[in-house]
Amino acid sequence: MPRIGVYICHCGENIAGAVNVEEVRKYAENLPGVVVARNYLFMCSDPGQELIKQDIRNGLIDRVVVAACTPRTHEPIFRKTVEDGGLNKYLLEMANIRDQDSWPHWHDKEGATEKAKKLVASAVAKAAFLEPLEDRFVEVTRASLVVGGGVAGMFAALDLANMGYKVYLVEKSPSLGGNMAKLDKTFPTNDCSACILTPIMVQVGTHPNIELLTYSEVESVEGSIGNFKVKVRKKQTYIDWDKCTGCGDCVNACPAKVPNEFNEGMDNRKAIYIEFPQAVPKRAVVDIEHCLSCAKRTIGTQPRIHSKTGEPILAPCEKACKTGACDRSREYNPEGEIVELNVGTIIVATGYKVMDKAPFKEYSPQSPNVITAMQLERILSATGPTEGHFHRPSDGEKPETIAFISCVGSRDKRYHTYCSKVCCMYMLKEARLIKEKYPETNIYIFFIDVRTGGKDFEEYYNYCRNLGIKMLRGRVGAVDELPGDRLRVRAYDVDLGAPVELEADLVVLATAIEPAPDLDELGRKLGITCGSEGFLKEMHTKLYPVETPVKGIYIAGCAQGPKDIPESVSQARAASSAAAVPLTLGKVIVEPLISEVNQRKCTGCGTCVQLCPYSAISLVEDKGRSRSKIDEAMCAGCGVCAAACPSGVITLHGFTNAQIHAQIKALAC
Amino acid sequence: MSSEQAARGVINLSESDSSLVNEIKELGGEELMECIQCAKCAAACPMVLAGFPFFNKRIIQAIFLGLRDALLDDSSIWACQSCNRCTEVCPREVNPFEIIQAMRRVAIREFALPTLSIEGLKSLYDTGHAVYLAGAGNTRVKVGLPEKPPSTVANPDALKELQAVIRKTALADLGIIPMDEPGV
Repeated sequence: MPRIGVYICHCGENIAGAVNVEEVRKYAENLPGVVVARNYLFMCSDPGQELIKQDIRNGLIDRVVVAACTPRTHEPIFRKTVEDGGLNKYLLEMANIRDQDSWPHWHDKEGATEKAKKLVASAVAKAAFLEPLEDRFVEVTRASLVVGGGVAGMFAALDLANMGYKVYLVEKSPSLGGNMAKLDKTFPTNDCSACILTPIMVQVGTHPNIELLTYSEVESVEGSIGNFKVKVRKKQTYIDWDKCTGCGDCVNACPAKVPNEFNEGMDNRKAIYIEFPQAVPKRAVVDIEHCLSCAKRTIGTQPRIHSKTGEPILAPCEKACKTGACDRSREYNPEGEIVELNVGTIIVATGYKVMDKAPFKEYSPQSPNVITAMQLERILSATGPTEGHFHRPSDGEKPETIAFISCVGSRDKRYHTYCSKVCCMYMLKEARLIKEKYPETNIYIFFIDVRTGGKDFEEYYNYCRNLGIKMLRGRVGAVDELPGDRLRVRAYDVDLGAPVELEADLVVLATAIEPAPDLDELGRKLGITCGSEGFLKEMHTKLYPVETPVKGIYIAGCAQGPKDIPESVSQARAASSAAAVPLTLGKVIVEPLISEVNQRKCTGCGTCVQLCPYSAISLVEDKGRSRSKIDEAMCAGCGVCAAACPSGVITLHGFTNAQIHAQIKALAC
Repeated sequence: MSSEQAARGVINLSESDSSLVNEIKELGGEELMECIQCAKCAAACPMVLAGFPFFNKRIIQAIFLGLRDALLDDSSIWACQSCNRCTEVCPREVNPFEIIQAMRRVAIREFALPTLSIEGLKSLYDTGHAVYLAGAGNTRVKVGLPEKPPSTVANPDALKELQAVIRKTALADLGIIPMDEPGV
């Protein structure tokens, strides 16, 4: 007969504020199998844990039920307590009387107390059937995959590489750099973005431990912590990168014109192009969709021969290439090439996208002089379409009056309800850069709240105001086009208590930070989820901010939510250090809460094989009969197979039929 | 502000006067730019309770936006009771009271001042008191005070000295009040 100890936590007022803990304790004392029931203010604290350990050491109990908060954060803590007391750590069951009881039923104290009793009774019933289990260990592949080559991904990769681990860095664009490469200067110190970023790009590009896979995307991920098998699709560049020197001769020869993504569509690039002059790796790619196939040189065909000269007729890009890297006879392969990687841990740092201005009809997005803040970054940048000359798009005139509009698409139920966090500061920065260079410019910033939470940010704000940048509290209601490329901005100044209007030459929209395209799809491949706002969800906002529910997969930078460069870098370095832990240990514990087949009784129907989401089950021949076999390393313990087995011969350890039936029965009493 | 816009109540920022900020700073409102429009001063201000359209916080915002005409067309800046509570409570050390004083100086330079103020200035020059109740002599005697207060009123020499000082201030250049002859 098991001897069960029940330990009920007050969680300060979190539980005790709604649940009559003493009443639940008395109730628990009389449950079958329970020999002792105690309560304490904070059961997870040292004195609380000691209560449990002492009862185990005194031989009083051999099963433990903790009625407290969520096992998601606290099960590991109490398992360690049980183990330190001298029991197998899987002889623990938790009843979540906080998240599932006191919190949702806060205003029904009686009901909450009754529900707590049921939850405790249910956990006690299961505890009677608990069995000791042994941890498994798996060897770790000492390599890591970083997805995303922006500032976060690069720092994560560099840190791991500097620790001596092999790092694969996958980036979907032809070059490293991400969004930061597009910025002119960066707050709060106004460092030139290129000056601080490009040396990092070079370090990453030349690090002996980093294998760069640019112009590539993650295709699929299998396996688990320690041993992920990742398929990466290297998109076809149609250029031999081993031969390409990045000289740009092919680019100059190309006659096609395509809106330039790097300059936010404000000028054109060619169909064969190098992403930007400081690209790493500096290699050309062919944008096959926009390629004109000059001289009928479709990729993958042999050149025609000139009837008079007998020479092959080549496309201009081929003719211009001195190294033979640009050879249109090469195979046409739109699918690209699949590379398989084995890694122990994965860091996702896929960054963000800036929202487009088009949806905001009230701000005349059709006007070329209504631009996004990212477009203004490109206009201000020395590598941008105007080479840093401050011209407005419609006619190249220098703007005299500029209006910035904050929270465009942020704090907006139609688009994104969250605050994009960086806009207040980058608007101030852009305004300051202009005002310092052209003090006569009139600059107005229309805001709802100026949010400058960050080291030295408030000082930056005050500095900008002292420069004469005018701040108006109130969302702009309308931007109308006027003759002469002028724009009329209409708002209500809350501080003045009056409607205001302004004629501006340039209107800058601080459009929202959005999750990178296809982030949810990548999340699905990795088994991690996005929150309602579309960014990847961390394990715990405060305590496990770079971990995800999938062990061995970590997140950093704007993939997790809007953040500035200092925060992205901090998080990247935190993620790299978390991702290095399993690599350093060389082996990881895998919980034994996995499925096992009783092969003797298996009929080999194969139902489980089809259902397993982790491809962990296969059919094997055994004495002339087909039987299912579960790969322990791949099983994630989801229990689908155990629930579906028509013969009932699959056991999910930790959640056996006997345990679950007892649990349900106790709830029904 | 054009009359059409004034009628609609819309303030046209394109017609604003960005020199106003510096003018206020030069005329005593040195800490103007420290204001972040938190409105703590407005919560302490009797002008707000009395319903004036411009009060400390709003006067400062109007200065930020260069709305010189709007401030001069309105009598609010003259309604400040000089209670100084705004300055006491301001967490940014803006000294809003001084900013209102500076704005009054701007107004006077443009002769945009109410008649009442002219009378006060004239009284200051003539008697040494901005507010002087000349008919109070009998009452003073009744309560045992001298008929004239022991100030410039009772001391013509001191008054002359004061007038000499006032004649050296900007007030003399403006010519708002006659200063040629000694008063009383």
